[in-house]
Amino acid sequence: MKNLSKYLFSITTLLLFSQNLIAQSATELEGEFKLGPAIILIILLCTFVMVGLFNRAKDTSDYWAAGRKISPVGAGMAIASNWMSAASFLGMAAIMYGAGYHGLSYVVGWTGGYVLLLILMAGQIRRYGKYTAADFIGDRFYSKGLRGLGAGLAIFISFSYCVGQFAGIGLMFKWILGIDYTWAVLIGASVVLTYTLISGMLGVTKNMQIQYVIIIISFMIPMFILCYKFGYFFWLPQVGYGAVVADIVNGIAPGAGITAMGHDFAILPSPEFAMPWDPATGQTAFQWLAICFSLMIGTAGLPHVIQRFYVVPRARDARWSVVWGLFFICILYWSAPVYSAFGKVLSSNPEIGKLAKDAIVVYTAQLGDIFPLIVGFLAAGAVSAAFSTVSGLLVAGASAFSHDLYYKVINPNANEQTQMLMARIGTILMAAAVAIVALLNLGLIAQLVAVAFSLAGCTIFPLFLLGIWWSGSNRAGAWAGLIAGSTVSIVALVYFVAGKFGAVLPGGEFVNYYMNAWYFAIWGAPLAIITNIVVSKLSKDSTPVEIKKFLAKQVHNYKVED
Amino acid sequence: MSEQYEVNFFKPLSDHAKANKKLIVILATVWFVGVFGFQFLLLLLNQPTPEKSYEKFQAVYPAVVEDAAATPEMKTEFAKSLLHVLGKNVALKDNHKVVLQNSLTWTLESMQPDSVKPVYNVEPNEELFNKAATDLNLQNSGFDKIMIDLLPTSLVKLDKANFPEEYKSELPAIMELYLVHNQNFFTDFIFLGFPFHYWYTAQFLLILFVVLCIIYAVSIEKANIKHNFVEET
Repeated sequence: MKNLSKYLFSITTLLLFSQNLIAQSATELEGEFKLGPAIILIILLCTFVMVGLFNRAKDTSDYWAAGRKISPVGAGMAIASNWMSAASFLGMAAIMYGAGYHGLSYVVGWTGGYVLLLILMAGQIRRYGKYTAADFIGDRFYSKGLRGLGAGLAIFISFSYCVGQFAGIGLMFKWILGIDYTWAVLIGASVVLTYTLISGMLGVTKNMQIQYVIIIISFMIPMFILCYKFGYFFWLPQVGYGAVVADIVNGIAPGAGITAMGHDFAILPSPEFAMPWDPATGQTAFQWLAICFSLMIGTAGLPHVIQRFYVVPRARDARWSVVWGLFFICILYWSAPVYSAFGKVLSSNPEIGKLAKDAIVVYTAQLGDIFPLIVGFLAAGAVSAAFSTVSGLLVAGASAFSHDLYYKVINPNANEQTQMLMARIGTILMAAAVAIVALLNLGLIAQLVAVAFSLAGCTIFPLFLLGIWWSGSNRAGAWAGLIAGSTVSIVALVYFVAGKFGAVLPGGEFVNYYMNAWYFAIWGAPLAIITNIVVSKLSKDSTPVEIKKFLAKQVHNYKVED
Repeated sequence: MSEQYEVNFFKPLSDHAKANKKLIVILATVWFVGVFGFQFLLLLLNQPTPEKSYEKFQAVYPAVVEDAAATPEMKTEFAKSLLHVLGKNVALKDNHKVVLQNSLTWTLESMQPDSVKPVYNVEPNEELFNKAATDLNLQNSGFDKIMIDLLPTSLVKLDKANFPEEYKSELPAIMELYLVHNQNFFTDFIFLGFPFHYWYTAQFLLILFVVLCIIYAVSIEKANIKHNFVEET
């Protein structure tokens, strides 16, 4: 405790010191090293590592069981922290800033999926009692091959999820360090890798709760200031910004305030920001619905989300942790549009030029002339959000590699030391590969993360849905469904990547619109489910009686005669 | 006897499973209709609604591009409508911006006597911005002030002898793209300061999701007790 007090005292001293040093020009949006934000970021990361050290897990079982010692509220916070990534913190506001109402499909999609997860899966997954998504798939569909494929998919989904996070980390490091994007991604990737290797086995759940609080506080403070400064209802900015949206539609005449760049807080009537599927945004109703649907079912199929329910003590806790988790997530999601609305007005003068949409949260705070240290805290909050998610994903991806693939499929005789080594190698390889893909700048953060959701929606979600709710779904059906879902995923991704590199494939325009990389699950998931059902019905293969009994008795509590 | 352990969501075998199924169906229906039903309703009710600038643009466009018939007032209205779209900085595509900038500058140039026209063939400067503000009769207040602020980034050096035909022909579609919006009763009705449809999607749906989750968590616990369903073995 004494050590913690000393640490907090040092933090306060450092912040006061940095306050004098950050009297830098608030009008400079980019391009220079920002000492204050850099110090805040270092302090935050050190805090996370130290909290981890104070709550160190003694062994592997303690690590996994950490979730069993906390209340559903605490578990909810951990779920929210795990969930709130760069896509939530930076990406949603970016999409809404650029595409208006269309961006709300991400807000709705990334929250609505929790309803499906709760009513269809949370309790059942807990009662099934496996440890990873691959474990469940391999066991329920009595197939070592499906287990391996499930593990591979879990790694690939974690990989896709990480790409957007690394892009966010790169953008924030670019902003803080004043360096170009490539170096920022490389430095950011190195820091997050080091952080993961140090903190990977520390007190993760405790850390997640603290990360949640920091992420939320850093996100909230600038919102209150913006609303207060420009004359909107500031006691509850999540409601206060409604008038900003209405004012954007009707136009805001000069007089409400001045931006950090010396422009009026004013905008000509711009209904395209709020009107549904405005032609100016280039987005259609179909795309809105397709993204929303894909994100929702993807939520219920993401391995690292599903996995959290394995480690809660009881099914009741699994349910209530979802309820609390969703509530805590919604606090951020109710707030994100505030930045897009203020950002729209504050950056409306063309002299500002085109801003990097993914950094609009931080630019908005800057343009609103908010005290630089608070803007720095906001940027550090964005990095924390990305770090908390990435470290969890890298650990999950690496454990899928060492436990589900290497140990269970490739080398069952491997001892714990070898498994640990493979996990470390897996973490490093995955981080390096993610950094390379992040450098390609394939899309906005939210869009890149949406790819992971569509992948999960096409592959994992159908297996869990049918695996839990229909004992007639057998190995042949699971294989067929997985192949159908994977084929849709591969086609969508091949067309997307080819398009990015200028290659023209037959029917490219059609595929890129109806089966876009951000929302291909709208076709892939139903196809995978239907294929699974049809092939299960047609095949001679049948789910073994023991598995049917286990499902009926253990998961659904039917009275089964042994 | 093997049917006793056949799990099928649609054919629940216990009272508890039946209650659970009923609960899931009700909540999933509310969830689906709440999210997608409302969006379909918006889609159904949406009407293409032009901004005032678009109506003004449409009224003067034929005369201005033909030039001979256009009065200075018509050209002023025309130029202001172009400026309005140029003010949509975040939404504006770069290729559209070029067309609008050139069209605006050509319009202003066409309002000048021949002796003044050459000033539009050099890089625009402060003097030209002030002149443009005067020509367009822009006041230093309200939306006019925003338009004055837009002039430095909206005027360009003209490097062609005439208003290019391709710009003339592209303009109507560009103006329609940025100035006609999907609106209906729900977008015009203000609730808690928001356009209602925006509040519904950005705020209410999230509240609905949390409430649905709470209802499920509470209801299933009641069903567990009622049907003596033991979750942990």
